[in-house]
Amino acid sequence: MTVSQRQGGGVQKAPQGGLAEVLDLILDKGLVIDAFVKVSLVGIELITIDARIVVASVDTYLRFAEATNRLDLHAKGGKDLGEFMGGLTENTMKGGAKGKTKGVLDAGKEKWDELRDERRSSRKQEQ
Amino acid sequence: MSAEAPEQDSGGERIGSYVYGILRSGQRIPEDLEAVDTGSESGESGLGLVSSGPLAAVISDVAVDRPLGTRQHLLAHERVLNAIAADAAVLPMRFGAVLTDDDAVRAELLDPHREYFSRALEDMAELVQFSLRGDYEQDVVLTRIVEENPSIRDLRERISGMDEDASYYDRVKLGEAVSQAMDAIRAADAQAVVDALGRYAVATVVKEVSGETGAVHVAFLIRRDHRTDFERAVDDLGDEWSGRVDLRLFGPTACFDFLPEYDVPDGDTQPGAAGDGG
Repeated sequence: MTVSQRQGGGVQKAPQGGLAEVLDLILDKGLVIDAFVKVSLVGIELITIDARIVVASVDTYLRFAEATNRLDLHAKGGKDLGEFMGGLTENTMKGGAKGKTKGVLDAGKEKWDELRDERRSSRKQEQ
Repeated sequence: MSAEAPEQDSGGERIGSYVYGILRSGQRIPEDLEAVDTGSESGESGLGLVSSGPLAAVISDVAVDRPLGTRQHLLAHERVLNAIAADAAVLPMRFGAVLTDDDAVRAELLDPHREYFSRALEDMAELVQFSLRGDYEQDVVLTRIVEENPSIRDLRERISGMDEDASYYDRVKLGEAVSQAMDAIRAADAQAVVDALGRYAVATVVKEVSGETGAVHVAFLIRRDHRTDFERAVDDLGDEWSGRVDLRLFGPTACFDFLPEYDVPDGDTQPGAAGDGG
């Protein structure tokens, strides 16, 4: 299930992904039962974690800005951060540490009591 | 609970039939698959098949008085369907489909929609879905963005001399510009994926990426006998993008993204029993 990061070539293959990949399929896609069944449908409350990050948010922008500022462009002939670094050791310190741990699941726990309307409207496939 | 759902007495607990998907009757499903957790002592814990005529539904017992959606529930739903899809055509239900009992599965799901399900199964018989996902190597893509965009470069240089509070709006501006530049790269990369792999697929859907460094997410409908060619082409693309985009291929799965649209029951009547379980 879990696929590890791998540098340099090769594509990881797995029958299915982790929770984030699974949610995307089975909550958004598939035949919607209440399109077929009316009487004996049992409406059970669904509790799910919404794994989708809202990409365009201020928090995202700030993280991008931080990551962009951390870049070391020196090796590629760009301007070196160092020349602006006068007394900013503190910033440099906290730069490397957090690095690349980017959880896809942003722990936005959400209760979807009622998905029926949304389901119905999005039943047709989006292209 | 559900007003119109007939009561079912199973030692005081109400048990419903959780439906995973629909396949041709007579088809075998793999053994030892883990079902969605029953959540009850009185329900049976394994998967079962409810058959009627040419069709069968994959079901398991589930207690109807507690919410669905734990990690186990979600993964079990997908694993069951994918394990079946590896060898046989199956129409996947969206997560959370529960009927009052097996008789209702026959009488209200399979029988009234026999034509639709049969036709869809026939059409999907030789097809499986694969999903290709990729994430950018963050520093690599950001470096490219900075190098290709003078305005971003300038903003970045200005900010790096300022303290956090003073640079707040500039940092938001920088991040927004980076985000937009990344979107443009994403669009180009999605097109590159379709160009490189589309010819091996019966159909292709470009999907929204997830995660801030999400690069591509494309679903492919693949003929079973074209799998090898497709996977080889994916590997070639992975080599080409190595160090820039980290690609992952998931599948074969049930064809969640490619269910046929014809004759879908229109579901316009509001079902009284829907969604009042909480």
